[in-house]
Amino acid sequence: MESSDNYNFSLFKPRNLHGKKNRNVILVMLIIWSVAVFGFQFLLRGIEKPTPEKTLADFESVWPQAISKDLSSVDYKTLLNSLILVKGKNMVKPDDQKILNEAITCITFNLIPDSIRSVILSGISNINSMKARISGAKDQEFLDLKTSILEEQKRISVMTTDFHVFVQGGLEEKIFLGSLVATYPGSLSDNSLGRLPEIMKLYLIHNQSVLTDAIFLGFPFHYFYTAVFLLILFIGLCIVYNILIEWRLKKEGIVE
Amino acid sequence: MMKKILLSLVIIFLGSGALMAESLTQLEGSFKTGPAIILIATLVTFVLVGVFFRAKDPADYYAAGRKISKVGSGMAIASNWMSAASVLGMAGMMYGFGYNGLAYVVGWTGGYVLLLILMAAQIRKYGKYTAPDFIGDRYYSRDLRIVSAIFTILISFAYCVGQFGGIGLMFKWILGLDYAWAVIIGSSVVLMYTLISGMIGATKNMQIQYVIIVVSFLLPIFILAFKFDYFWMLPQIGYGAAVSDIVQGIPAPNISNGMALLNAYGHDFSIVPSPEFAMPWDPSTGTTFFQWVAICFSLMVGTAGLPHVIQRFYVVPKVTDARWSVVWGLFFICLVYWTAPAYSTFGKLLSSNPEVGVLAKDAIVVYTAQLGGVNSLVVGLLAAGAISAAFSTVAGLLVAGASAFSHDLYVKVINPGATPKIQLRIARIGTIIMALAVTIVALMKLGLIAQLVSVAFSMAACTIFPLFLLGIWWSGSNRAGAKAGLFAGILVTTVSLVYFIVGLSGGRLPGQEFISYWLNVWYFAWIGAPLAVIVNIVVSKLTTPTPLEIKKFLAEQVHN
Repeated sequence: MESSDNYNFSLFKPRNLHGKKNRNVILVMLIIWSVAVFGFQFLLRGIEKPTPEKTLADFESVWPQAISKDLSSVDYKTLLNSLILVKGKNMVKPDDQKILNEAITCITFNLIPDSIRSVILSGISNINSMKARISGAKDQEFLDLKTSILEEQKRISVMTTDFHVFVQGGLEEKIFLGSLVATYPGSLSDNSLGRLPEIMKLYLIHNQSVLTDAIFLGFPFHYFYTAVFLLILFIGLCIVYNILIEWRLKKEGIVE
Repeated sequence: MMKKILLSLVIIFLGSGALMAESLTQLEGSFKTGPAIILIATLVTFVLVGVFFRAKDPADYYAAGRKISKVGSGMAIASNWMSAASVLGMAGMMYGFGYNGLAYVVGWTGGYVLLLILMAAQIRKYGKYTAPDFIGDRYYSRDLRIVSAIFTILISFAYCVGQFGGIGLMFKWILGLDYAWAVIIGSSVVLMYTLISGMIGATKNMQIQYVIIVVSFLLPIFILAFKFDYFWMLPQIGYGAAVSDIVQGIPAPNISNGMALLNAYGHDFSIVPSPEFAMPWDPSTGTTFFQWVAICFSLMVGTAGLPHVIQRFYVVPKVTDARWSVVWGLFFICLVYWTAPAYSTFGKLLSSNPEVGVLAKDAIVVYTAQLGGVNSLVVGLLAAGAISAAFSTVAGLLVAGASAFSHDLYVKVINPGATPKIQLRIARIGTIIMALAVTIVALMKLGLIAQLVSVAFSMAACTIFPLFLLGIWWSGSNRAGAKAGLFAGILVTTVSLVYFIVGLSGGRLPGQEFISYWLNVWYFAWIGAPLAVIVNIVVSKLTTPTPLEIKKFLAEQVHN
């Protein structure tokens, strides 16, 4: 009678020499595959260090003075610049954006004389109402509203240009103008005072290491490795596997 | 000199370039004539191909009569694989979550290595039409056939939901339609041609769809790289400098050849330093190292367990074709996957101006091309390509779901004496029911496309993958072990889904935050799949061994 044990096998315990060679190829492939994919990410994790952007140091150098309301005009501009550089990152969460907007508005209007401030506030209200209408507008109406918004922003830009360090019409100035809100709180709320340092740390500290700082073919090395190289490796592994298996089948005269 | 000539050609032929910015354009809104014509022509082609290569009997419907070559099958694998999640969703994940989005790129390609070395040839040698067929036969169990058929349908269903969402977004963009109508019209068309053609028509269509997807996806990225002065001859490498530019920031104005680089709104091509886009698991993206690994692992293992992917190995004539079709399929897939991060990179740069703001993640590919001032017909082709990607995948999924319904449930369980004609009719009824149900769920907009699709991967990884892995590679895996392992996989799946649904509806269960993080619905397979394998092994060791004839068949037919 045929014994069931004669046909027992597993990936690790093949039944014959062909199976053993096949197993070795498979295990080598699996080890290369898993080390290349996960080993690299663990390495990245192991050697990374929380690295702040320079902007965080700028912010922290003037933040104590901001709390004690003892900012010089240079400090104001440094603080404003650091807030703008965080606000300009388009991954900022809506709640954090709100606090940044409040802080940017408050800091700016503290520098601006009352007479100009009221004109700017009315201009911002005007822009907000046009922005509310533009989402439902189409074709010519959309273009008209867009043009009016740009004109109003230009007007505000001219009025505020002496109170910041940004190039007129540049990206930072646009971020600045887009951050101003229509209400002037006079001073930062307790919530903003408490949350701002956390927000700045959240967006300005990154996990960096030699693998992220090195540049390869223009990429940060780790990005190239994951987005480009691993895919090449997968195709390479598949080709090598097929060639090896078929070479062995041919050598051993096995027809599938 | 060469560059200046090409630049002039781009300006002449592609009209609305960034350098002659057609400012104040709208990303959304009105009916777009050119893209609509391209879309309609594409859809008509699909239907005609479906009619021309229509299925004549069940073998054609399920397995394309085993007449497909390895390159053709590779293209079909790629087309079947590259869904709205690949073409639309993946770039959106990188745009929104930075480096963590790359877990999707690696997960959705690395799984093919597993598929090749552990499954492809063995599945073809086993010689069954569908995944439930294999499971029912290997584990000599009618119950397992039924449960795996149900899960095949559920996995196909979950996968389809994301696709229908993608179809809706693109129809909405091109036709200026409401999202709901866009989903309904798109699903009607894909249903129509799947019903007419079955898999043989679908396979031919998939080859055409692959060409459309690749051409439409690659063309705009060459144009964008060229316009914004990156290495355009190989933009899949050239965009690396753009990633570094995002990390370090680009001051405005950004001048190239004496002219300022602008987006379609006339904004400077500039950005404040944004290392969070490229740095690993950056805290500001709200993602973690664990999530990167869990997503990547779940997608890889899920790839090797997806019924509609596994099913493709039945349609190649020879075992060697099954192996090489994986290589071809992976290569064709990678052409698109090397390119998707470039879209998110250019999208990041082009939307850095506060007047553009954060863009809808799932439409980032099309918006990027639009913001880059690429000609509207090319953008229309891109949208048609995205729809093709969704269509080809949906067709494969509907066939896999219908096969499970008619072949594995109806013929094998309910009515074994059914004639081929009745089988075909039941397959078509199953396809209609599934398409209707998917349409209803897609209208609810439960998540981002890539996330919705990843649910299907985790489900497949927890249920189908362990049964195939142990069924092929361990003769000791028996019926009781398979049932216990499947139960463990289903349990993890159910817990994750229940917590997700409760969380979505605003409710809270005990340990809601803990489960939502560690057993998140997008990646619960990181624990579910290994658990199912371990339970299967332990229970198999403790119960009656696998019958002789099964072991003999595996040893002689599959591993000889």
